Amino acid sequence: MNRQALKLCLFFGLLSTLAGPARGDAPAWMHNLVNAPLPAHDEKADAVVLYEEEVITVLSQDKVRHTVRAAYKILRPDGTHHGIVGASINPSRKILGMRGWCIPAQGKDYEVKEKDAVEVSIPKISGSDLISDVREKMIQIPDSNPGNIVGYEYEVEETPFVLQEVWGFQDTDPVKESKFSLQLPAGWEYKAQWRNHAEVQPTPAGTNLWQWSLSDIKGLREEGDMPPWSGVAGYMVVNFYPPGGAAADRTFHDWPGMGIWYTSLTRGRRDATPEIKQKVAALTANASTPLEKMDAIATFMQRDIRYVAISLGIGGWQPHSAADTFNHRYGDCKDKATLMSAMLKEVGIDSYYVVINTRRGAVSAGSPAQVGAFNHAILAIKLPEGVTDARLAAVGQDAKLGRLLFFDPTNTYVPLGQLAGHLQDNYGLLVAPDGGELIELPGLKTNSTGTNRKGSVKLDAAGNIQGEFVEVHHGDAAWGQREYLKTVPKEADRIKLVESELGKSLANFSISKASVQNLDQVNQPFGFTYSVTVIRYAKTAGDLLLVRPRLIGVYSSGLLENQKEPRQTPVVFEGPEKDTDNFEITMPAGYVVDDLPPPVDVDYSFASYHSKTEVAGNVLKYTRTMELKELVVPVEKLDELRKFYRIIASDERNTAVLKPGGK
Amino acid sequence: MTRTWRWIGVSLAVALLAGSAMWRASIVNGDDWLPISQEELAMKSLAEAPGASAVVLYRQVDRDDGRSPHEDNYIRVKILTEEGRKYANVEIPFLKDSSDVRGLKARTVRPDGSSVRFDGKVYEQTIVKAKGVKYLAKTLSLPDVQVGSIIEYKYTTDYRSGWVYDSRWVLSDELFTRKAKFALRPNPDFALRWNWPMGLPANSQPPKEEGGVIRMEAQNIPAYQIEDFMPPETTVKFRVDFIYSEENVPEKDIAKFWKNFGKKSNDSIENFVNRKKAMEQAVQQTVGAGDTPEVKLQKIYARVQQLRNTSYEKEKTEQELKRDKEKDTNNVEDVWKHGYGNGRQLTWLFLGMARAAGFDASAVLVPRRSQSFFNPNVLNERQLDDNCVQVKVNGKDLYFDPGTAYTPFGMLPWWETNVQGLKLSKDGGSWVEVPPNDGELTKIERKASLKLDSEGTLSGKLTVTYYGAEAQTLRLDQNLEDDTSKKKLAEDMVKETVPVGIEVTLTNTPDWKSSSPTLVTEFDLKVPGWVSGAGRRVLFPTGLFSAPEKGLFEHAARTYPVYFHHSFRKQDDIDVQMPLGWKISSLAKPAMLDAKAAVYSMTAEDKSGILHLTRSLRCDLMMVPKENYGALRAFFQAVRIGDEEQVVLQPGSTSAGN
Repeated sequence: MNRQALKLCLFFGLLSTLAGPARGDAPAWMHNLVNAPLPAHDEKADAVVLYEEEVITVLSQDKVRHTVRAAYKILRPDGTHHGIVGASINPSRKILGMRGWCIPAQGKDYEVKEKDAVEVSIPKISGSDLISDVREKMIQIPDSNPGNIVGYEYEVEETPFVLQEVWGFQDTDPVKESKFSLQLPAGWEYKAQWRNHAEVQPTPAGTNLWQWSLSDIKGLREEGDMPPWSGVAGYMVVNFYPPGGAAADRTFHDWPGMGIWYTSLTRGRRDATPEIKQKVAALTANASTPLEKMDAIATFMQRDIRYVAISLGIGGWQPHSAADTFNHRYGDCKDKATLMSAMLKEVGIDSYYVVINTRRGAVSAGSPAQVGAFNHAILAIKLPEGVTDARLAAVGQDAKLGRLLFFDPTNTYVPLGQLAGHLQDNYGLLVAPDGGELIELPGLKTNSTGTNRKGSVKLDAAGNIQGEFVEVHHGDAAWGQREYLKTVPKEADRIKLVESELGKSLANFSISKASVQNLDQVNQPFGFTYSVTVIRYAKTAGDLLLVRPRLIGVYSSGLLENQKEPRQTPVVFEGPEKDTDNFEITMPAGYVVDDLPPPVDVDYSFASYHSKTEVAGNVLKYTRTMELKELVVPVEKLDELRKFYRIIASDERNTAVLKPGGK
Repeated sequence: MTRTWRWIGVSLAVALLAGSAMWRASIVNGDDWLPISQEELAMKSLAEAPGASAVVLYRQVDRDDGRSPHEDNYIRVKILTEEGRKYANVEIPFLKDSSDVRGLKARTVRPDGSSVRFDGKVYEQTIVKAKGVKYLAKTLSLPDVQVGSIIEYKYTTDYRSGWVYDSRWVLSDELFTRKAKFALRPNPDFALRWNWPMGLPANSQPPKEEGGVIRMEAQNIPAYQIEDFMPPETTVKFRVDFIYSEENVPEKDIAKFWKNFGKKSNDSIENFVNRKKAMEQAVQQTVGAGDTPEVKLQKIYARVQQLRNTSYEKEKTEQELKRDKEKDTNNVEDVWKHGYGNGRQLTWLFLGMARAAGFDASAVLVPRRSQSFFNPNVLNERQLDDNCVQVKVNGKDLYFDPGTAYTPFGMLPWWETNVQGLKLSKDGGSWVEVPPNDGELTKIERKASLKLDSEGTLSGKLTVTYYGAEAQTLRLDQNLEDDTSKKKLAEDMVKETVPVGIEVTLTNTPDWKSSSPTLVTEFDLKVPGWVSGAGRRVLFPTGLFSAPEKGLFEHAARTYPVYFHHSFRKQDDIDVQMPLGWKISSLAKPAMLDAKAAVYSMTAEDKSGILHLTRSLRCDLMMVPKENYGALRAFFQAVRIGDEEQVVLQPGSTSAGN
């Protein structure tokens, strides 16, 4: 038998194994793995993948079959979850067969079949779909314990919305061997694109059959504040095309093509009904400028259209019509973008969808065009000629479309003109009339987000302090605080936000006369003012008073302290940030400064920190500034970041020493 | 609004014979809605629920357990803030094969009184579908909901005819409820008992039976919320439990009820335990003739704990269970012969063996206070869902539960302590107070011998010993884990106690598998930058292991009592060697707080240039009423002040800090 014929046999053999061996024994392909060498792993690996394979058989434009098989060796108790196997199903994606096996280290094999499967809906979390037709079909493989091998096979047939597949070959478990096969009908073609892994050429395995193969793939570790998985793990996107340009509305291989696909999905959805037109007229009746009109519509979207996601079938990508969203007064992100676009059109302002991932780094400049890369939709509003305003910070220049203002109508706490940190410097697909382009959204200045605290307290000789604080929060810092305050179940709980923050720095404190500024005015900075009394804030040592000039606020972090293994991934910040603190401590009568902490000046490419403590008369003055300048700190700079946090931690604990005057 | 009805004690599986006339005009029929007042329409907030995002204005539950069992629900919610609009998403879960939801109607009422009837699609979603089980949910989202809107919806849940279900009125909701009405027409063929174990909201009258229907009205029911150190959820939510029994007439006399239950339980347990000959043989194989009574008991206890305890094994699939072919266990002799049993069976084996060894030993049924609090006035036998054994040793009543894994001899798992238990006997038994474990035997002890370097880094050896319940809790947590996970947990436990980032490595092999009263863990510890700078001086904070107390009770307001599972002690003893040339120039002021049930002390000494720090925290509190929360908070705030005291060091030629 020649090699080509052997490969064909293997391929069709895989399909036929779904019919299964008799007597519940695991199939031969699993038994062949029993003595196979394991991929390199450390003692923390829960399990290793001995073998995994996915075969995509394209039967027609409307029918694609997936045959999936995998086998794991479980190494640790935490790896037993590999005994639970799930396959996603929905009305257009059906399971044809599903089985799992266990080869125990001792004793006979186990088998579990589809009839024992359980169907579950995706668990609901805040912000997830209220209604969805996606479910998971799951089987539990018996005896999935350390030392045993578990494996499964399932076959799924679906009517695809897009002729595209993704082979995600890298996960947390090390992989010994991974294969991906594509069987196309005669005359079809494909294009494969790789991310986070060097391109590997397929081996022709038969007529219109290609197979990609990888071995010894390293497992990735989950790390705090790491980039999104798709930003670091290897995967391949393969697009396939019928001959003669058929199914053009469901095929693409680049971002412009995906833009055309999305345009076709949204066609007609942004048509305004008479009711919408009437509402726009009412909303903008008193608006004299385009910016005022945009403001009125944005406020309506943020306040009156609540977030409800109903995703059935293609509804995960295709928005409801503007009319539906307007009538119901609810919708998800793409519904809100659709209605807002329709309303803006009524005042003569064009706008475009921007589909994006809420985690910066999931898509970047070199990412292949992929439907599943995005999970959110916002708008790019074409700013009319002459519209300028200092508030309009989230503005970018597009070569074809001109000045674009990026706005997220789903986020009720970020006003028109601003952009949440996670969307800044992020890549999104701008869906333009003639297609689409992958664009980088603008980054805002570092001082667009942050907290400015001012405090003025009096210290007495017993070490107690009493005084007032004013906090002003901008950008994302304000958004987070507003969101918390709006979701607390009762008014009395609002103060808990301040208590928790002060509790990080102060013991035995009590708050009085607290108030909130601009809770509902998202265009204005958000703030707190409060009075605080702290018993024995300063410590005594003989006749000395030990006073920490940094009264409140914590910028240090233990993120890089507690991990023993060298970190694999960069640290990603939520967004740019600039914080300032200005505190004044009036010293008790009869005391003078004996010792002051030294000033701190640290400036790295990604962040800076400056603090100083000074004396002016009987007042101890502490000022500091912390600025995050770059949103990603690469692995090679993590030692600097660790040092940066340690310097801040040290400064935050530094102390001034006061002594009775004249000594 | 999401509502999950939890049906308890599923069925008595008996056909119903009685008919049931219509006993109240259904609240869910047709398109009729209850009138809405101008005050409800105009409402902007509610003084009784300040800041609430929404409130339940009215709720009605009418249940009929008769021939066609069903329950009518009517809910009216006022939306007070933008956040409150989420309650316009309604999800009603139900078990398809035993119930169905029908007649779901909903509407939105605008502040001006005009209404939008819901005529959209009600989605039926699968939550879980498995062999013989279909757990679904009817889901809808009401349209045009704005701040100021009132939303209301109603529906009927039908239950399988011919079945009788225990049920429950859960009064407490995540929203404040202004008014609620409940009614239940019981099934006439079974005795029904009802109770309200957590009391009722203020100004509410207890349920009353009139004309064959039990009714209750309640007003101003506070919203349920979550707090740290709160008692179990079931103990703070108002509810009325309805429990059917096969008796013809429900026993309402409290003493008789428990006597009857005690007799029944005693018969069943004695039947399981009474294998005298087999137990005598087992004892013979276990103890020595010359052993003192206490040693005998210890050996029996240890032997029982050596048997395989199936309650602590990984849950097995049906296939595994079939293949294991485990034998039926009908009595303690079977347990002994098979060499395995579940936790309950092992504890009864201990009872049998103790008796066979000549001890006066009794079975005791106890509640698990980790889940709910026992109330003898609540006539529900399911409250006593755990077991232990009382043994008289040297004239003292001691309690044992070898069936709960890792319980040291002489102790009980914390959830079985400080509770009222039913000591069983032929005549039904008697109540006993199961005492708390000896507080001195439940503690965490940390001993460290460290060196400070001139860069301000502390490093050296640390030994952490967990005693009693602290050791048992860790062992139970790691019961099914491997050495890698156990090592990580031991190290994480240290990381959580130090207020700054540290490097810590476990250096010994702790005894995770035994029921020893101690669990000893040893580490290499490194704390970078522990000291802080103060110009020419360096400051050394005393609270090296103070992080757990740092954020404790930081909020001034409290809704529920504070509930500590058990008393605890923490004792730290730390020696720190100074860098060459450094001097201790001023010691931290010692701290001593004695609030009787809670005591804290901290000392710092200069022992010939070695800084010696001690810290001791003892808390013998279990339930602290809301009214005393301020005092409790003040105590822990004062602990934090003590932990933040500083020792002043005078460096030599180089200084630490930045």
